[in-house]
Amino acid sequence: MTQQADAIIEVDGLSARYGAHTVLDGVSFRVRRGEIFVILGGSGSGKSTLLRNLVGLMRPAAGRIVLNSQDFTAMDEAERLAVRKKMGMCFQGSALLNSMTVLDNVALPLREHTRLKSSTIDIMARIKLELVGLGRFGRYYPPELSGGMRKRAGVARAMAMDPEIICYDEPSAGLDPVVAAGVDKLIRKMQQTFHLTSVVVTHELASVDLIADTVCVLHDGQVLAIGPPDEVKRSSHPYVQQFFSRQPEAEVSDNNEYIRSITQL
Amino acid sequence: MLTSAAGATGRWTLKTIHAVLAVCRLVTGTFYWMIAAPLTGQGLRARSTLDHYVDYAARSLPVVALISFLIGAIMAMQSSYQLARFGAVQFVAHLVGIAALRELAPLMAAILLAGRSGSAITAEIGAMKVSEELDALEVMGINSIKFLVVPKFLAMVLALPSLTAAAMVIMIAGGFALSVTALQMDPWNYLAQTASALHIRDFATGMVKSVFFAVAICWVGVYRGFQVEGGAESVGKQTTSSVVTAIFFIILIDLVFTALFFSM
Repeated sequence: MTQQADAIIEVDGLSARYGAHTVLDGVSFRVRRGEIFVILGGSGSGKSTLLRNLVGLMRPAAGRIVLNSQDFTAMDEAERLAVRKKMGMCFQGSALLNSMTVLDNVALPLREHTRLKSSTIDIMARIKLELVGLGRFGRYYPPELSGGMRKRAGVARAMAMDPEIICYDEPSAGLDPVVAAGVDKLIRKMQQTFHLTSVVVTHELASVDLIADTVCVLHDGQVLAIGPPDEVKRSSHPYVQQFFSRQPEAEVSDNNEYIRSITQL
Repeated sequence: MLTSAAGATGRWTLKTIHAVLAVCRLVTGTFYWMIAAPLTGQGLRARSTLDHYVDYAARSLPVVALISFLIGAIMAMQSSYQLARFGAVQFVAHLVGIAALRELAPLMAAILLAGRSGSAITAEIGAMKVSEELDALEVMGINSIKFLVVPKFLAMVLALPSLTAAAMVIMIAGGFALSVTALQMDPWNYLAQTASALHIRDFATGMVKSVFFAVAICWVGVYRGFQVEGGAESVGKQTTSSVVTAIFFIILIDLVFTALFFSM
């Protein structure tokens, strides 16, 4: 019961479609305040679409998303904007604006949404950069940084408005294991320091052990298993087992089916 | 056969309606964030507008100046061959002056700016869309029309008339340079002829046109940029399309305004 009371994000029967193609089919879960919630899934499982719905970049075809006991899906644009300011998002490619310095990138949300003095904003942005270990790189432009540093800068920007919830889209994608572990450590540090609810979308098994409080396995737009990492790993579901033991997808066994699939126009 | 034709028509209609709606959103959004929002204290990105103005106007000036000068000289040469047959070489000044102000200076400046800056607008916004920067702006609650479009729009609407005015003067200078050298006309006579041929109305119509050319270049560039889907290939396609569409609209607007101005 306490789990329900603590929920900061409640997703209820969420469905999403691109045209006739259903990407998410009745996804439901709860994220407790202050935990790291890892959404694990293979390519095309719908995990990125789920995240886009969560931060309001897409409107779901059906279902509800409740943030802080407010129905996010039923809000108008002005209300959504207010909720969004309390959410941070780290994109897969970091999505820093290349036309401005790293410091200006981090300062941008503050400049747009607050009436603080420019010098105050600069100091606040520097604090956020220091927090992710990029204190000395404020004057650089994003293309001048390495992939791992850009990810960190993306985290600093997401933290700029002191959000309650932070979402990460594939934080370790395209990074070597050492740098990826560094980013995972940063995610953990942010969560511990600021009691930040974190939603992490990934396909990286290594991250699960390092950061996950709760794991949710997504496949073909449906939740297969949900719970603490140890529990999910013991799940009897064949796909979950396959995922954790890194077995490839079974080859097409039915010859007739194969012939049909390549001759059909 | 019949059903597929019906289907194609339906899809085309839907696509067109979507495109028209997108353009309407862009147009109303631009005016809202340019006029209504600053009045209600939501700010205008003045610094970014200034940066864009410098980029569009100052950095385009050398190439616009060079081409205008050469076109002025070419016009003087072409017209002198014909006018000499009637012993009317002194009218070269009239022809160059009127053609430059009414038509060629606004048109050349607009086409050059469409190629140089219209394409850059599309490529910038398209690349931002590909790298999720537009999504990042939306998640941060920053309106992309306010942030990206309005500074470009204002800068373009200020830059193109400035460039056009410069192109007018330089084009006349090109005609003047050729006439006093190759055609051995009297410099003072040439200037006096130019002054007598030109009216404020010629200048005004050229400037009015250039404002509308600027609007077309900016909106086409921005619209094409937002149309980018997928990857780098799409950025290239939309950028090409941006320049071609902008030039088409420039010519169309030119036709409409010429008809309006000189039929009255």
